[in-house]
Amino acid sequence: MKFSYNWIRELVPGLKMDVTTLAQQITMKTAECEGVHDPGAFAGASVAAVASAENSEPDSIIEIDNKSLTNRPDLWGHLGMAREVAAIAGLSVVDPVGELPVAASKGDLSITIEDANLCARFSGQRVENVKVAPSPLWMQYRLNSLGVNPINNLVDVTNYVLCELGQPMHAYDAELLGDAIVVRAARKGESILALNGEKYSLSPEDIVIADAHKPVGIAGIIGGNDTAIRATTKRIVLEAASFPAAQVRKSSSRLKLRTDASMRFEKGQDPENTVRALARAVELLKQISPGSQAAPPIDIYARKTTPPKIQLDIDWAERKLGRKLSTEEVINIFKSLVFGVEQLDQRKLLLTVPSWRATKDISIPEDLVEEIGRMVGYASIVPQAPAVLAAPTPRNLDHEQHRAVRAAMVGQGFTEVSNYSFISEAEAAMFASWTGTLLQVANPIVAEQKYMRPSLLPGIRRNLADNSRYFTDFRLFEIGREYHKSQDGTPAERTHLVATIYGRETSGANLLEMKRIAQYVASNCKVVPMKSHDEIMHPERAAHVEVAGQHVGDLYELHPGLLDRGRAAILDLDLDTMQALPSQRAPYRPLRRFPTSSFDLSIVAPTHTLVADLENKLRQSAGESLVALQFLLIFPLPPDKKSVSFRLTLGADHRTLTAEEVTRTREKVVEGIKSAGYELRE
Amino acid sequence: MTNPIQTIKDLTQSALGDINSATTLADLEKVRVAVLGRKGELAGISKTFGAMAPEDRAKAGQLLNEAKATLEKSLEDRKASLEGSESDQRFKSEWIDLTVPPQGIAPGHIHPVTQVQDEIEQLFTSMGFRVLDGPEVETDYYNFDALNIPPDHPARDMQDTFWMTDGHLLRTHTSPVQVRALQKYGAPMRMIAPGRVFRNEEVDASHEHTFYQVEGMMVDRDVSVSHLIYFMQTLLSSVFGRKVTVRLRPGYFPFVEPGFELDIQCLICGGNGCAVCKQSGWVELLPCGLVHPNVISNSGLDPQEWNGFAFGLGLTRLAMMRYAIDDIRLLQSGDLRFLNQF
Repeated sequence: MKFSYNWIRELVPGLKMDVTTLAQQITMKTAECEGVHDPGAFAGASVAAVASAENSEPDSIIEIDNKSLTNRPDLWGHLGMAREVAAIAGLSVVDPVGELPVAASKGDLSITIEDANLCARFSGQRVENVKVAPSPLWMQYRLNSLGVNPINNLVDVTNYVLCELGQPMHAYDAELLGDAIVVRAARKGESILALNGEKYSLSPEDIVIADAHKPVGIAGIIGGNDTAIRATTKRIVLEAASFPAAQVRKSSSRLKLRTDASMRFEKGQDPENTVRALARAVELLKQISPGSQAAPPIDIYARKTTPPKIQLDIDWAERKLGRKLSTEEVINIFKSLVFGVEQLDQRKLLLTVPSWRATKDISIPEDLVEEIGRMVGYASIVPQAPAVLAAPTPRNLDHEQHRAVRAAMVGQGFTEVSNYSFISEAEAAMFASWTGTLLQVANPIVAEQKYMRPSLLPGIRRNLADNSRYFTDFRLFEIGREYHKSQDGTPAERTHLVATIYGRETSGANLLEMKRIAQYVASNCKVVPMKSHDEIMHPERAAHVEVAGQHVGDLYELHPGLLDRGRAAILDLDLDTMQALPSQRAPYRPLRRFPTSSFDLSIVAPTHTLVADLENKLRQSAGESLVALQFLLIFPLPPDKKSVSFRLTLGADHRTLTAEEVTRTREKVVEGIKSAGYELRE
Repeated sequence: MTNPIQTIKDLTQSALGDINSATTLADLEKVRVAVLGRKGELAGISKTFGAMAPEDRAKAGQLLNEAKATLEKSLEDRKASLEGSESDQRFKSEWIDLTVPPQGIAPGHIHPVTQVQDEIEQLFTSMGFRVLDGPEVETDYYNFDALNIPPDHPARDMQDTFWMTDGHLLRTHTSPVQVRALQKYGAPMRMIAPGRVFRNEEVDASHEHTFYQVEGMMVDRDVSVSHLIYFMQTLLSSVFGRKVTVRLRPGYFPFVEPGFELDIQCLICGGNGCAVCKQSGWVELLPCGLVHPNVISNSGLDPQEWNGFAFGLGLTRLAMMRYAIDDIRLLQSGDLRFLNQF
């Protein structure tokens, strides 16, 4: 929103602040100023020419961030900003609107509001004997420097009033409009050719201004082309109305049409302003279209609201701000902001909100605290530590877990990545098992955002492909959330760790190294081989990871078909499941007091025999005197056998085993191996 | 016959020469056996003492003992010296080059945003703020309505929000955790909620649809703007590692009233004005304010009894400021050439 420094000075006589200081003051007390510009800098060369032709003082434009005006409908016109400036500077505002004419509800123009919810107030006025011509240069200059294109004197007047009072207006050619105006919901199938040359199909959620037959304008957004001012126009109807913010906003976003009018209405415009705007426009028309004659305004005030009164306890406001406030200081602030002030007792006020602050802005005592705070200046508040109960801060065990896992992974050479939560259609299709559990994005901007990731793997796979262009070997991991549709249809999020070890030249992924990592992160985990039948895992190189018999994740080689080159080992752990498990810490055992005896065995078995099966066999046959079983090595015996060596340590709790006992156990073990169909390698 | 006394003297002289010329511990041992051994030369001489006159014998005996002591001492010294040079030799042969790069896996790297988040979590935890999480797939109630953003509010623009086909949405800020936290744990409450948020917009060097925020909130009895300034000044000074000056100015956010934009005095120029602060001396850092009474009551608490402050800090922005990262897209790229620098 652009404000003319000269215009504000006209409205606040006696203002001495230079434009830079004024902009700073507005930023600190009202709304964020984004900069001060020379009007010529953005409005084209013609402005400078106009300025010199008029011999007027060069203007400066103060640019205010629109977002910071979201709650201030009154600041969408110069008079509103002038009120703020006057309050800041301790001066008074001159109201550009003169005495209001007496309005009637009936006259030469018939106005009907079908539903007061669609339009709180509609004011219209006929003006006869107008003559279309260019506006005087001072008006063109002012509009142009605010970014509004001058069109002709009639249209320019409505825009000028918009910029001055913030009230959107419209001018119809009275011949084309006829004598009746109806404000109603659009009918199904209706459409309108708008002033911008576009045709809009309307829905019953849109509000229209219509003549006897058809819409002549989309309420609060844009006028129709058929009733627009043209070069031959002699009589006009001026419109100034109040439309509901929510509906205007909805229509404006559905029609994808934002206008100077809609931006203002969606903030909630002051209905008190409609007749004022008509009066101001008529007065301007007298100047710039001499001979024009206005009929009395017709005014339908369908729903009048009384300005709210709010009680303010100054002691309470002191506690909110953390700063002492004198009653006098507070009264002066509200008087300067044109509130009605009634003192109830020493420290209590009853404040009447001005109509232009009452639509969306100020309705509760907290809103009044802001008025006080910004006017006394937040810099006058001294920082102070609160008195709070001293108690230990509750811990976030999930974050502690993530931090510990992260530290472990980094220590093992893995770098943390952060991937998007989205996957593409193609990625979703790659993994058939996900179908039906995916959360789908309704309004993605790009195709890569179609679904929420049901696994961190697609992102990790992208990382593998991208980084394999630059590195032959690398390790990376992500800790992040998966998104699923749960049984009852509600979304569910689970935090996973997915880690990968990539090698470009290896003939297979380093799965046993990844198993070591798994045991490093989940110290008591067990890796249980499985046959994989999906498209993600290498069918012969996949395992479940279990803790205390519970499936907590998977360890596998990424299906080689999913990588252009190289191989990748993957570890995928459900950190939420792991977190929920009871502590796996084994109790302390006293140190062994009696010596143990050890011997080594090498077992010859078929190549596909699991070491874990051999270990189980050894444990079973050795019995309770086995205190430790250590895997030593595997030696391949082509074509189809291997030799696996173990060290067995025997002992007893309360004595030393005899040589005979050790020999007997060894014989038992050898017997067990042989009876299981394996051989001993001597 | 030869004079035993002279023999002892001669023997001692030659033995001392042998000791000093021995170059190995084995040679030295040979000398020791030859001179001082049970069958050695000094022992041989003592056998001749029987033929001597008693006074000569005493004198020769004394001389012999002195010679033994001298030689033993000399042997010890020589032995120590030979031993020293032998271990020197061994050590020399064991030299290694410590400038050789070590074998094994070099440590990985933690994501820069995670590093900043960890630091912020520890800082706030130390000030009594608990760390909480909330869902990323949210309901429009928690993301908007509960935060006093009614259905017709401009902040709900369709183009800003990722919607799910089932009517859920991706949270556009971490603020929903305010209401969830109060509903779950009640008041008093001091918490932060860091996490991932989403905005449905085009990505370029300074815009991302996925980024990180940390929400902060304190709810108690009589929490004031002066408390808010105190916490912000203290915590931001700690974040930036030096005294930070803050200022509040009006800002509008539906879930706070009054609402503020918090600026910090420019850390580059100290407030004198530079390119970073666009000559203003101040850098806009975070939105904050006193929690709106509607948010307190939507959380199941009585706004007459409880109030508080809340703020939102951009973790992604903070990480970019700290490490001078000029392209936001790098953070979600998974590119190890970038990530291995942190």
